[in-house]
Amino acid sequence: MLTLKLAIRNLARNTRRTVLTVILIGFSLSALILVDALSLGMLDILVKSITKNVVGEAQIHKPGFRQNLDVDLYLADTQNIRYTLDQDTTIAAYSERVISGGMLSSSYNVATGLLYGINAEAEGQVTQLPAAIIEGQYLSGKTGEILIGNKLAELLEISLGDRLVVTLSEADSGELAQALFRVSGIFHFGIEGIDKGLVFTNLAQLRSVIGITSQQSHEIALRFTDPSLATLPSTPVFTQLNSDQLETLNWLELNKPIASIIEMSGLSSIIIGTILFILAGLGVINSMFMSIYERMYEFGVVKALGARPARLAWLILLEAFLIAVISCFAGMTLAYLLGSYAQEHGVPLGEFEVSGIAIDNRVLMRLEIYQFVEYPIYVILLTVAAALYPARFAARIVPTEALQRSL
Amino acid sequence: MVALIETENLCRYFQQSDDIVVKAVDGINISIEPGEFTAIIGPSGSGKTTLLHLIGGLDNPTSGDVFLSGHNIARMSPGQLSDFRRDHIGFVFQSYNLIPVLSAEENIEYIMLLQGIDAATRKARVAETLRQVGLSDYADRRPSNLSGGQQQRVAVARAMASRPDIILADEPTANLDSKTGIALLDVMKELNESFGMTFVFSTHDEKIMKRASRLIHIEDGRVHKDEKKSP
Repeated sequence: MLTLKLAIRNLARNTRRTVLTVILIGFSLSALILVDALSLGMLDILVKSITKNVVGEAQIHKPGFRQNLDVDLYLADTQNIRYTLDQDTTIAAYSERVISGGMLSSSYNVATGLLYGINAEAEGQVTQLPAAIIEGQYLSGKTGEILIGNKLAELLEISLGDRLVVTLSEADSGELAQALFRVSGIFHFGIEGIDKGLVFTNLAQLRSVIGITSQQSHEIALRFTDPSLATLPSTPVFTQLNSDQLETLNWLELNKPIASIIEMSGLSSIIIGTILFILAGLGVINSMFMSIYERMYEFGVVKALGARPARLAWLILLEAFLIAVISCFAGMTLAYLLGSYAQEHGVPLGEFEVSGIAIDNRVLMRLEIYQFVEYPIYVILLTVAAALYPARFAARIVPTEALQRSL
Repeated sequence: MVALIETENLCRYFQQSDDIVVKAVDGINISIEPGEFTAIIGPSGSGKTTLLHLIGGLDNPTSGDVFLSGHNIARMSPGQLSDFRRDHIGFVFQSYNLIPVLSAEENIEYIMLLQGIDAATRKARVAETLRQVGLSDYADRRPSNLSGGQQQRVAVARAMASRPDIILADEPTANLDSKTGIALLDVMKELNESFGMTFVFSTHDEKIMKRASRLIHIEDGRVHKDEKKSP
């Protein structure tokens, strides 16, 4: 108890230095929490952009289809798959798709694109396509309807009601087929690749055009009851359906660049955290050394009285621990106040694009419990670790030399 | 009587440069018995403080031995020396050597904390030693709120609280005015006479010399004269 009292009073001995050290460590901790919260906020936008657009949270294909979108690699019998999905309580919704690359011709221009045949209602439960319509109507199931992105509409110089001729290959035979559509809706996802390269029409019509049956399709997009299930290998759909005939991939596996970005964001947090902690650690070492040099004579006396080196080291470490605890409270309070505001109002970062995905000008931070538990523990451990060197120095003070310094 | 302190051919040399060796203590043989009130005197640089540090186990001799209560402290490891100092030797230094953030009673208690003495015994001894040095009313004051003489009395109380075999005092009155210095010496002399506490001072203070029962004169690291006064 007396040692604790001594440590506390030693910290109060030079209030300015203690406060400066607390500010340094506290700011480092709050910066780390806020950077992590901002990073999570940006990831949320990325993940939402991906999983709520055409990708969904996971997809089922015939192996090899994703590599070159070969129209011949379709799922031959989706009935059994649908049955499995219907029984799976982790699946909230799924949408069958027929996909084919084709040439899109308007009266003014020609472009290539991916044609998606979808079930309008099912698709609306898996992705946000209905909500992305900015002009016209979502698909109603009528023959001849087609949805195109606003960028593609600009390229083809067409608008609602205009005709669009699609030329594509039939499955299995490879024969060319053509179909006439009228633009029924224009969508905008904010992702260049989708807005400029995809068109959506009704599933039945596209099946008919490429010559496959109602039990056949190229892709089934999934939405889980809990989005986090998508990245768990143990989720039933992955363990039950993956085989040499079926390939079930989650959104991370379907978006390697985004997976890299997410991995990098974790790495960037580690790098930023390391830099901040090194700076804070150097501050602690400096502060503790100044404190030791000020008390050199005192330490000489205490050692002369019979204090063992370990007791002096313990005192220094205890002082560092107390500084760390105070700093953590200060840092967490600051991070909580700023983070809570930014969680509600967002951080204005301007508009920018990450891997083709437009980030709005406000990123909502995401505060998590672990940021207020794990990071403070790291800060305390690092601060105490940084104090080991000064503590060792104090422990090795030779009484006669220390006493002579002030005599 | 069995000697409390005994030095045998004690030497402490400092290598100042390649060809200059300072012989701070050079072959000293002294013997101090329990209950003595001894002053080690001599001019500045004569080796008084070095001798006191060697006797107190704060410094290691270049050669020779120091026996304290029969233990050869010159042969002890640093850890053993720490424990030995803590349990057998009390120190009073020239500068006011109290821990500034602790009160008078906490300063006294601290040495007992190092000894691992239980809280109740610590409290009792603190009260007792503060009473012995006449500072019972100043127990909760920090050093900055005590005069120089009061601080040295607390230092004496701290030295006594650990129940040492001997108290070593390095010029304890050097920073005190004459009147305060005399008052401090009276306290120490009374402790010596009442409780048989052994004191060894390094000093060139005439007041200590007059009260000492024995004067050991040091010059150039050697005992120049050793005179015992009759009681």
